[in-house]
Amino acid sequence: MSAPLIVGSVAYTPNVVTIWEGIRDYFAGTPAEMDFVLFSNYGRQVDSLLEGTIDLAWNTNLAWVRTVAQTNGACRALAMRDTDTMFRTMFVARAGTGLGGLEDLKGRRLALGSRDSAQAAILPVHFLTRAGLAEGEVDLLRIDSDVGKHGDTGRSELDALRAVLDDKADAAAIGINTWEAIGRDELMPGAMEVFWESPIYSHCNFTALPALTEERSVPWVEHLLAMDWDDPRHRPILEMEGLRRWVAPRLEGYESLFEAVQEQGIGPRW
Amino acid sequence: MVNHGIVLDLVERLATVADGATAAVPLGPGDQGLLTQTVAAWCARTGNELLEVRNGAAIIRRGHTPDPLAGLASGQMPGTRLWMYTNFDCNLACDYCCARSSPQTARRALGIDRVRRLAGEAVQAGVSELLLTGGEPFLLPDLDDLVEACTDALPTTLLTNGMLFRGHRLERLRRMDRDRLALQISLDSATPDTHDSHRGTGSWARAVAGIRIAQDEGIRVRVAATLPAGQSHELQPFHTFLDSLGIAPEDQVIRALAHRGNADAGLELTIESLIPEVTVTADGVYWHPVSADDTDQLVTAEIFPLAEAIAEVRRRFSDYRARANAATQWFPCA
Repeated sequence: MSAPLIVGSVAYTPNVVTIWEGIRDYFAGTPAEMDFVLFSNYGRQVDSLLEGTIDLAWNTNLAWVRTVAQTNGACRALAMRDTDTMFRTMFVARAGTGLGGLEDLKGRRLALGSRDSAQAAILPVHFLTRAGLAEGEVDLLRIDSDVGKHGDTGRSELDALRAVLDDKADAAAIGINTWEAIGRDELMPGAMEVFWESPIYSHCNFTALPALTEERSVPWVEHLLAMDWDDPRHRPILEMEGLRRWVAPRLEGYESLFEAVQEQGIGPRW
Repeated sequence: MVNHGIVLDLVERLATVADGATAAVPLGPGDQGLLTQTVAAWCARTGNELLEVRNGAAIIRRGHTPDPLAGLASGQMPGTRLWMYTNFDCNLACDYCCARSSPQTARRALGIDRVRRLAGEAVQAGVSELLLTGGEPFLLPDLDDLVEACTDALPTTLLTNGMLFRGHRLERLRRMDRDRLALQISLDSATPDTHDSHRGTGSWARAVAGIRIAQDEGIRVRVAATLPAGQSHELQPFHTFLDSLGIAPEDQVIRALAHRGNADAGLELTIESLIPEVTVTADGVYWHPVSADDTDQLVTAEIFPLAEAIAEVRRRFSDYRARANAATQWFPCA
């Protein structure tokens, strides 16, 4: 039997240990056994992928874009969560402010999350640009609460929402996962509402380099995709990781982020 | 006006907490009732559990609450077995009897009508085995009818001291359904001394004779010993003796002496520390057969409908276990 496949992941919550131990156990005894290594930030994780310390990286969309840049496109995505194929950024404001779209942000204050968060900083600026708003036309309040983790902790997005509630900003850009986590507008009736939501884009994926042969990666992916929401042994892991099923990667969903990174001059390394 | 920041506090605080652990989130200023409602709604939506609100803070467990009964073996689930105390009076006066049975104990009989109804409702409630115990059931003139009502419904075990298998009582035994009935005869030791010291002179020999009679009648016999925890060294000679009687290993039952009833020592068994086995007497439904004469373990005086009584036992048991689980996670902040 070959050595276990080593998967890298960033520890953004204590539950990452529970999640990956569960996934490791799920692969135990199969032809595609795996173990995992946790990193404190995505920069270190991608470095370790490039150095060959890990075989796979559970990457955010920005980590994927940067890995593509550093490997001249030689890396490949193996799988993602169903929720990663339909990620969105939500622009929210206090209910009743009358904001009807991005163009209404002209001359107003927009709270953004950490500068390395695709959903709460990089893509929101890209969407503003696409809406015809020039740099400086919107007063950006950047809240870099969890730099290095690409917004995974959600901390900066919560701080952005606080800024709106505290009247330090007129609106905030947050990921749909944070919007769901706070209960959409149902738990804060009359407090927050979405006034614009972005087109869908792709978020995380398992990234591999050419050094990982298909002989090793294919059985691993096949077993990953066989995880079953209706199987009570698999369900807790899927719930904690925020998906109902693993799916093949949707690569066209990264186009907007590639464009945004280029427009904003975001480098391939940290 | 509700402080909507509470939702942000919840998301932020719970994100740093490991699954299964608890966190305290201050409610902050505002209408405490509305804030609590918001916290409860958020918890319900996100699969977390609001344990309580204390000193102005919500105590929340991260993640789904584990089913408190999930770790139980299938046979331990309350309601799997149903015990019935048929009478309470007994021909013996054992010094450790948990039910305080003796020849002087007044008969409190369930009676054929209630036993028949219980057996029928037990099937509907998902019970898989019935157990009849006395005092000494063979004192009852209609015991064969009671047993028939039970064996017609479910596999049944009849507990006895095995000393009364003569005359019309032996005839009653012979009328019982051998395919659906097992006898559980009490025997505490491989030699007369220990057994007789608790149960009376000559009782060991008569019990052993009773075991042989029942076996000769083709009835499955289990033997149950009640021993103080300190006498575990006596087990091997005892098992060897039971083997010689032809008692199958799985039918050799050793029970620890409980500090209940007439016993002046033994295991201290409380509702909180005792996995329940639903037990019905003429007085009501009890937590466990070892405490069927103790009001502290009376669950309800309403025997019927049986399913409701079983549900009540399960509900209380779940609560106790969930509370015990929560206590292990408890780290009050103030």
